[in-house]
Amino acid sequence: MKALTRMKIMLTILILGLAVLPVLLSDTPWPVQARDYLFETAKSDTGADNTVSAIYLGYRAMDTLGETLVLLVSITGTMSILINLGRNKVDEESIGFSLEPEKLPRHSLRTNLIEVVASKLGPIVLLFGLYVMLYGHISPGGGFQGGVIVASGIVFLALGTELKTKLTNTIVLSRIESLSFLFLVLASISGVFFESGFFGNPVKSLQNISPNFIILLNIIIGMKVGTSIAVMCIAMMGGSHDH
Amino acid sequence: MIIERILIFLLFIIGFAAIVAMPNIIKKIFGLNLMNAAVVLLFILEGSRIGDQAPILGDGVKHIVDPIPQALMLTAIVIGVCISALALALAVRLYKATGSLDINVITKRLESEH
Repeated sequence: MKALTRMKIMLTILILGLAVLPVLLSDTPWPVQARDYLFETAKSDTGADNTVSAIYLGYRAMDTLGETLVLLVSITGTMSILINLGRNKVDEESIGFSLEPEKLPRHSLRTNLIEVVASKLGPIVLLFGLYVMLYGHISPGGGFQGGVIVASGIVFLALGTELKTKLTNTIVLSRIESLSFLFLVLASISGVFFESGFFGNPVKSLQNISPNFIILLNIIIGMKVGTSIAVMCIAMMGGSHDH
Repeated sequence: MIIERILIFLLFIIGFAAIVAMPNIIKKIFGLNLMNAAVVLLFILEGSRIGDQAPILGDGVKHIVDPIPQALMLTAIVIGVCISALALALAVRLYKATGSLDINVITKRLESEH
């Protein structure tokens, strides 16, 4: 029985290996036409120096809307699964990482070291996340990357208990998330009224396009991604403790 | 060039083996993450073969890498995070319901309840 299962597993892995092998052996050169086209026109079409931003917020902004929708659905599912679980007090005591002298009821899953370091690192990480978010159109970064850094900053703030802030409250975070999704939809249809179509740049009529619309979308998406991932992390850590 | 592809291929196979062979569902979820990472690495690597500069236009930038795989993989990474969060939440729910993370034990206990 055991040997048969192992044989089956080996066979499955072998078949998958054979199926993926052509990817490994192919020597077709990567096409350069799309790269050359973007190199010529990305700046004049969307106003962004960063061509990756130009693609996902300019040419293919529709995909980004779908992606944020996927994020929304996934966080809804995660929260609805996790919200009914509740937490077992005995579990918290037995699996806490703290050493014996620093074990306090409100410090479960935390040590003094994490609290001291995390709450001081949080604001700095938040600032860096905002920088990555705001400068996504001219430097590496953008809404998604900055949003994830903001989320880690919020998680740091939630881990440390020195700072009393509303930013680690899941209700506040969920409200920010819903509002930023509303703003994203509003921004996406704003181009319709200025004759540039769905997700079009509303200020297209000028001679050279300003990247303001890309910056706006970066900020909205950064808020959306940051708050949703932070909500998920805080829910997985057992809810916010400071209320 | 071929060595990097072989390493990525191995990463993909390891992820798949974890999904198929491991009885622990947390390890299955991390196998899924490994497969996701292998695909992301493959796209970024192949897209970077036609240039040697970051795809950010400016003075003196001539040979940029292909930005399209990077934009695609941005989407793939976010979707991967969503999937692993949802899967981990389901794993926690299964553990609370059955008291085990082993897929065989979970199946047995769920069957015995009916």
